[in-house]
Amino acid sequence: MKLPAFFRGMPQVALQEFTTNLKSVRLIVMALLSALLVVGGAYGFTALTSSFGGLPPAVAWAHPSYAPNGSHVAVVWVSDPYGAPFSDRPVEFEDENRTPLGTARSDADGFARFDVGTRDYVGVTIRIGTATFGTGVDFFPRPVNFTVYSLQGDYSRHGRPDGLGMSVLDRSGAPATANVSVNGTSVGTTDRFGYIRFDLPVGLSQVTVEVGGESETLPVLVPDTADGTPFSSGPDLVLAVIASLSFLIVSIFAIVLSFDAISKERVQGTMDLLLSRPSSRSGVLLGKFLGAFGAVAIPVTLVNLAGIGVIAAASGKGPTGAFAGAFLGGSLLLIALYVLLQLTLSTLAKTGGSAVLYGVLIWLLFNILYPIVTAVAATVLFSGDPAAYFRFTQASGLGNPTSIASSLVFLSAPPGFQGFGGSSLEPPVVGAAAAVWFVGLLALALWTFQKKAAE
Amino acid sequence: MAILPASDAQPVHEHGAHPPQSFSRGASSPAAMIEVEGLTKVYGGSRGVRALDNVSFTVPERSVFGFLGPNGAGKTTTIRILATVLDPTAGTVRIGGHDTRREPMEVKERIGLMPDEVLYYPTLTGLQHLVYYASFYGIRRAEAKKRARELLERMGLGDAEGKKVKAYSHGMRKRLSLAQCLFHDPPVMIMDEPASGLDPLGMRSYRDLIRKLANDGKTIFLSSHLLSEVEQLCERVGIIDHGKIVAVDTIANLSSRMYSGAPVVLHVTATGITDVVLEALANIPGVTGVQATPTGVDVTTQPGTDASSDVSRALVLAGAELRGMTKEQRSLEDLFLALTKGGGA
Repeated sequence: MKLPAFFRGMPQVALQEFTTNLKSVRLIVMALLSALLVVGGAYGFTALTSSFGGLPPAVAWAHPSYAPNGSHVAVVWVSDPYGAPFSDRPVEFEDENRTPLGTARSDADGFARFDVGTRDYVGVTIRIGTATFGTGVDFFPRPVNFTVYSLQGDYSRHGRPDGLGMSVLDRSGAPATANVSVNGTSVGTTDRFGYIRFDLPVGLSQVTVEVGGESETLPVLVPDTADGTPFSSGPDLVLAVIASLSFLIVSIFAIVLSFDAISKERVQGTMDLLLSRPSSRSGVLLGKFLGAFGAVAIPVTLVNLAGIGVIAAASGKGPTGAFAGAFLGGSLLLIALYVLLQLTLSTLAKTGGSAVLYGVLIWLLFNILYPIVTAVAATVLFSGDPAAYFRFTQASGLGNPTSIASSLVFLSAPPGFQGFGGSSLEPPVVGAAAAVWFVGLLALALWTFQKKAAE
Repeated sequence: MAILPASDAQPVHEHGAHPPQSFSRGASSPAAMIEVEGLTKVYGGSRGVRALDNVSFTVPERSVFGFLGPNGAGKTTTIRILATVLDPTAGTVRIGGHDTRREPMEVKERIGLMPDEVLYYPTLTGLQHLVYYASFYGIRRAEAKKRARELLERMGLGDAEGKKVKAYSHGMRKRLSLAQCLFHDPPVMIMDEPASGLDPLGMRSYRDLIRKLANDGKTIFLSSHLLSEVEQLCERVGIIDHGKIVAVDTIANLSSRMYSGAPVVLHVTATGITDVVLEALANIPGVTGVQATPTGVDVTTQPGTDASSDVSRALVLAGAELRGMTKEQRSLEDLFLALTKGGGA
């Protein structure tokens, strides 16, 4: 079956371009760089958000206890948030005026004890590695013969503080065997250090601790959304950071693979052979586009999927589906726009050297120069009108393929992220701008190739 | 090889002194496979470089047509327009009756192009190149591979079919060019400098191949700097200079017309050339000049005069010993140089 003249030669050229690119060293190098940035970044930023997500590197679980002579003894169990004790670590004690009272070292099980006499309050500070953790101990009368020190945080990397770590000691300062239940359902018993950790549902929970027939109930609230601080927002935040970085390298990837798609045919002398075959110029150009697009899109999509997978695996929860889908789609749009741009420039380039130069310039233009120029223009034009300044900066993104792709991705981001990379433009406006860019660049590439392919 | 009758051809004209050349076929002439009419190509807009200026010629089917011209004369531009690679600024080209602009696909199906210098895709093998190009003609992959292997074997590239083209020598790439041009068995072959860079053995194979293709009924449009090759392979030639056709005809007709008004020079090899001998030669009717040479004497006669028997007789009677005599031959090179005012090819 023969294709219409407009498309003649397209499948052959597309397949050839695709397979040649797939075997090229530059594709392998760029795919590795993308993987390093996206997959490595996904893992790294997930780890980063975790460490900033409410859990300190070390915890001083501080309890009041009472010596047989009635003296007040502060007992501090030093461990990481997950219950691994730190032995032989100094624990500093101070009074309410921050006057140092003394130092005790943790024993083999991580416990440090300090007799404060009749004082009702003592401040506690531990320094482990580069981390400092401070807390206090109150010696007020309690209705039960045990004390509970709890720490709420994102223990399971869910993107929200829905975990609770708990240390339970008896009145004498020894680890207590406590049965713990959440809303009436048992979640386990403390270990030999008196430690237990468990997850909580979203909303208000009643956590009941029972020791030797006595019990105490604590209300604990897990918020429905991220708490608003940048690094406690979990997988979606990581994806937002990765998307912004990824778009920089995706545009480079597209340029690196397509910068000489046309010019190399001319330099090699194969362009004349191609154009003398039963193929139309539009078919050849479309084939070049599809081949280069496919060769970039496949590794980029695989890398992006791997990045999303790593975020999900490392945090225990994937990013929002629509946001992840928009990230994948936005990357494809960006690849298409940059490949088309580069095909036009490659047609105009007389040599491989000028094709490289055009590629570098186009990347610098849209990723560095354009944002600077529009920012300067906004300042110069609307310095006295903040509202006009704001609207200009919002609309100026429509003149830049990277901004358009970014805007489309952040349209699907969860509400807390709209300010990260989104804009106040309505989705249909951004969508229409993306369509205009695509159709415009395709038409420009076809027209340029029609006119200049053989000259 | 079919050639047009001399009477159908336009006379050779001075460069730029006559209107563009065209000719019509006689009733018994073979059909024209390539028809070029008023072809003009201007690079870089209306004020740009005029590479071709109102070029017209035809190439009969089943013939080998030599296309000659100095560097920059417009040969490659003409070839690229014939091969539908370039669009002309004005004029028409028909191949097999199909207009290259209106019916480019029909033209492309019928031609094979062998460009001058092609580096090819460095990471593809010779076999992969042929299979790739075959895919444009709807040839099934298995069939394409089989034919490609046969053709590469025939071209002496059988051992190199799996070798990447970046490892090919210039001569090997030239043979690959020929193979891709022949692969889909087109009736018209357009070749730009097909023999340049071939070794003597390759040259001979190439000459035999062109002759065989001509015998098989192919129409071959052959541009070459190697005038001796053109002389051996083409009976009909077109000469282009500064973008204009300066001559189209058989070599014999061109020669005869070019030199029909020129004096004839007899190169005589003889001993005993004395003043008496020179005087006797000068007195022969029709002789316009006599010049002693180290090996004998050159005798110039009026155009159209055959004085060789009178010269022989005069030499012997005057006491010289005649050892040989040749009439000056005009080669294609002489024609080319004369028509292009010095050539440069």
